[in-house]
Amino acid sequence: MSERRVTFTREQIADYAEASGDQNPIHLDDDFARSVGLPGVIAHGMLQMGIAATIASEAAGGPGRLRRMSVRFAGMVVPGDTVTFSAQPAGEGRLDVSAVNQRGEAVLTKAIAEYEP
Amino acid sequence: MRFDIESDRVSAFARAVGADPADGVPPTFAAVYSLGVTAPQLFADEDAAVDFGRLLHAEQEFEWRRHPQVGETIVSRARVASDTNRRGMRLVSFETETTDQKGSPVCRSRALFVIRS
Repeated sequence: MSERRVTFTREQIADYAEASGDQNPIHLDDDFARSVGLPGVIAHGMLQMGIAATIASEAAGGPGRLRRMSVRFAGMVVPGDTVTFSAQPAGEGRLDVSAVNQRGEAVLTKAIAEYEP
Repeated sequence: MRFDIESDRVSAFARAVGADPADGVPPTFAAVYSLGVTAPQLFADEDAAVDFGRLLHAEQEFEWRRHPQVGETIVSRARVASDTNRRGMRLVSFETETTDQKGSPVCRSRALFVIRS
C-alpha cells in the first residue's frame, strides 16, 4: 500500500493554481471565497486528485502505467487540513484510492485507479 | 484546441502534486492539457451563464490510452454532454477528447460540475 499525509497550505494551493492555470479566486482570495458562501479559500479538487494520482502511480509501478482514474469530490479541503492519501491493491490492475481528512471524513469518494500490471 | 506539453509547466505541475518531475508528465496533467484547455471556453461563454464563484467540480474521470510526452503538441475537443437541474443545482457534464497530432487517442476526460444556486 502506498500512503502519504499532506497538510495543505495556501502556498501549495497557489502553486497549483499557477501550475494548472486554474486561477478561480475561490482558491486564492479569502474575501471572494466568503462572498460566495465558502469558509475561505479551498483547495482545487484537481489538486486533491493530482496528489491521489501521484500515490496511485507509486502503487502502480510508475505514472506511465495508469490507464484510468475516477473520483468524486466529496468534501472541501481548506488550508491547515491534513489529508491522508492512500492506494491499496484491489485485484488485478486495480487500486482503491482514499483521501481522508484529520476528522476522518473522506474528501474523495468512489476513487479508483486502473493500471497496466 | 492545440496545446504544447512544455517542460517547465510539467515540472511545476509535478512539484505541485507531490510528484517527481523526473518521472515525466503526471497523469492528472490532463487537467491542464485536456480539461483545462477546453473548460474555460465553456465557462467564459456568456450564453452558458456560468458563475465562477458558484462552480464546484463534483466528479472527474480520466482514461488514458497513453500519456503524452514533454515536447508533444496535442489537440483537444470538448462538448457539453448534459446540462440539467436537480434540487436547485445545475449539473453540467463536460467531455473532452484529446488526440495526438496523428489523430491517435491520448486521453478522454469526463467532468461533472455543479453550479450552486
